[in-house]
Amino acid sequence: MTAQPAGAGGSRVAVVGVPGGRRVRLFRDAVVGAGLAEPYVISWRDVLAGRELRAPEGALVRVDSPGEDAEADALLRGPGDPARVGGGATWYARFMAGLARVAAVPGVRLLGDVAEIGVMFDKRRCHAVLAAAGVPVPPAFEATSYAGLRAEMARRGWPRVFVKPAHGSSASGVIALQTHGDRVKAVTSAAWQADGGLVNSLRVRTYTSHEEAGRVVDFLAGDGLHVERWFPKASVDGRVFDLRVVTVAGRPTHAVARMSRTPMTNLHLGGVRGDLAVVRSRAELWERVLDVCARVAECFPRSPAMGVDVMVGADWRSVAVAEVNAFGDLLPGLPDILGNGRDTYAEQVQALLVGTR
Amino acid sequence: MEILIDPALQPDHHDVYHDVYAGLPVAHAPLDEEDDGPPPEAGAVAWRLRGNEFDPDAPEEIGEALDWFFEHVDTSRVRAIVIGQWEDCYDEGSAEIVARLADNADRLPALRALFLGAISPEESEISWIQQCDVTPLLEAYPKLERFEVRGGSGLELRPVRHEGLRMLRVEAGGLGGGFVRALAGADLPALELLELWFGVPDYGGDTTAGDLSEIMSGARLPALRHLRLQNGQFQDDVAVALAAAPIVERLETISLSMGSLTDAGAEALISGQPLTHLRRLDLSHHYMTAAMMGRVREALPGVEVVLSEPLDAEREWRFVAVSE
Repeated sequence: MTAQPAGAGGSRVAVVGVPGGRRVRLFRDAVVGAGLAEPYVISWRDVLAGRELRAPEGALVRVDSPGEDAEADALLRGPGDPARVGGGATWYARFMAGLARVAAVPGVRLLGDVAEIGVMFDKRRCHAVLAAAGVPVPPAFEATSYAGLRAEMARRGWPRVFVKPAHGSSASGVIALQTHGDRVKAVTSAAWQADGGLVNSLRVRTYTSHEEAGRVVDFLAGDGLHVERWFPKASVDGRVFDLRVVTVAGRPTHAVARMSRTPMTNLHLGGVRGDLAVVRSRAELWERVLDVCARVAECFPRSPAMGVDVMVGADWRSVAVAEVNAFGDLLPGLPDILGNGRDTYAEQVQALLVGTR
Repeated sequence: MEILIDPALQPDHHDVYHDVYAGLPVAHAPLDEEDDGPPPEAGAVAWRLRGNEFDPDAPEEIGEALDWFFEHVDTSRVRAIVIGQWEDCYDEGSAEIVARLADNADRLPALRALFLGAISPEESEISWIQQCDVTPLLEAYPKLERFEVRGGSGLELRPVRHEGLRMLRVEAGGLGGGFVRALAGADLPALELLELWFGVPDYGGDTTAGDLSEIMSGARLPALRHLRLQNGQFQDDVAVALAAAPIVERLETISLSMGSLTDAGAEALISGQPLTHLRRLDLSHHYMTAAMMGRVREALPGVEVVLSEPLDAEREWRFVAVSE
């Protein structure tokens, strides 16, 4: 007999994603590995193109990322180089409309919550929700231009900030900006193209004039900018690091340290997986990290899983949350911190079977 | 117990001495009595002080940490202090901290090791750290054995005589010629290890090889065994000077690392006075060709020659390791 999700009356599992993509494959493997029926796949392309959506009656629908698919990206932001930076506001509006269509499919139950995903994909609102809940986050403001950004930095006495597109992901368009008098240093993965646009590059570059930094900021400002005070991160052997912690059913279950020689720790920008022991060996600090992540999860009670990016301060005591990622569970093969031998996908399927949420 | 000076160690500007300094475990002032347990014996640890507005456990201003330190610690036994980040260290110089420590020298009779500015690039880029005239520290602490500074901006010195100093390290993205000339004019009879990072002119590094001539003579540095002239754009000039410098015969290790040494400098080194008595020659981060690397190794059998992968020798621009 095939095992079925508890409390779901034997419902079939479905996933909204990119058919053939690695996220869908990894989830599918975990579902089938747990003895459940092959999950039904709803393509983001169909969702975004307005095609009729179907799912088995009573299906439990997991929403996964539309990322890593050029066609879905074109439907979200319009045609163009999928590596380009910008277009976040359009992306967000169409993404949210797509989520609403998924939620409206008759007879299905979403694993997750459209409104909560919406908050996680707006860094300004996400920051406000976390701050209101007492989760440590760097102080922040919104900016609409480079001139406004500089004025606000001066007013607040902040020489170092992270400028983040409100709807960006994977460090896309993020700028680590420092000013000192007339000096400026802007580190970003965004690079100018011959056509006057910005693309994400796989290495970070540094702009050292207000003119250059201003061009980048102003290019991105139309889609909304969330500006956070630079939280000085701890470093090991000359590399700064942060932690990606995945929570499942409200509990931190997986964690990796991401180390980098640049202010961006994203793995595709030269960051490398570091030894989690640098944090885990400090019992008090580790407890603080886990506690903060659990509190983040409490802010999104209807979301079965999320990826929380946690920074450890240069003092090795303070912690702060940099970001919450609705689709932050793509850590293939990473075993859980409790020693159950489950990766993030198996963990979520397990939670589904137990019916914790 | 002697303060640890390990000439085999090459610290870099990312080290903030959070856990260990000068061979001593680090205690963070103010202690958190709930979390840290009973206070350590004041002389058994290095005391680290900082002002950090991001850390709910740390005072916002380093002045508060200093207040706590002088109120709660038996400072008469304290042997080592690490000064970390102070508030607005990219704007506010270290003068107040230096004055506070110098004024309280009678309360710190056992102080032997001091790091001023253990600030990581995440907290402030090295060239943005604002230092000050550090002469008052050397005058107030004649028994100080180990003194280290990070950040060359605003860093000043007057020529002094200091009988106790065994190790002096200055990490900078730009080190002013005025500082170096004052240092070269100082009498440091006990100094065993001298390390200077020169950096680049854009960040105030206007030192020239000529500023080093009195150091090269060694007349005021009779105990020197380890000479590290690092992170310089003029490493070839330094190499030429070393090739004939009287001090070299007394040295056990030399470092010209982190700079832009090319074949020309290396040629001068191996064709100058004998260097085979050295234990180590550190030339890592360089612009030598593979052929020259081989010749250096061949010329110095028995010497541990530290060579990193060559940076591009054909490049028009040659960079030092640390500037910004």
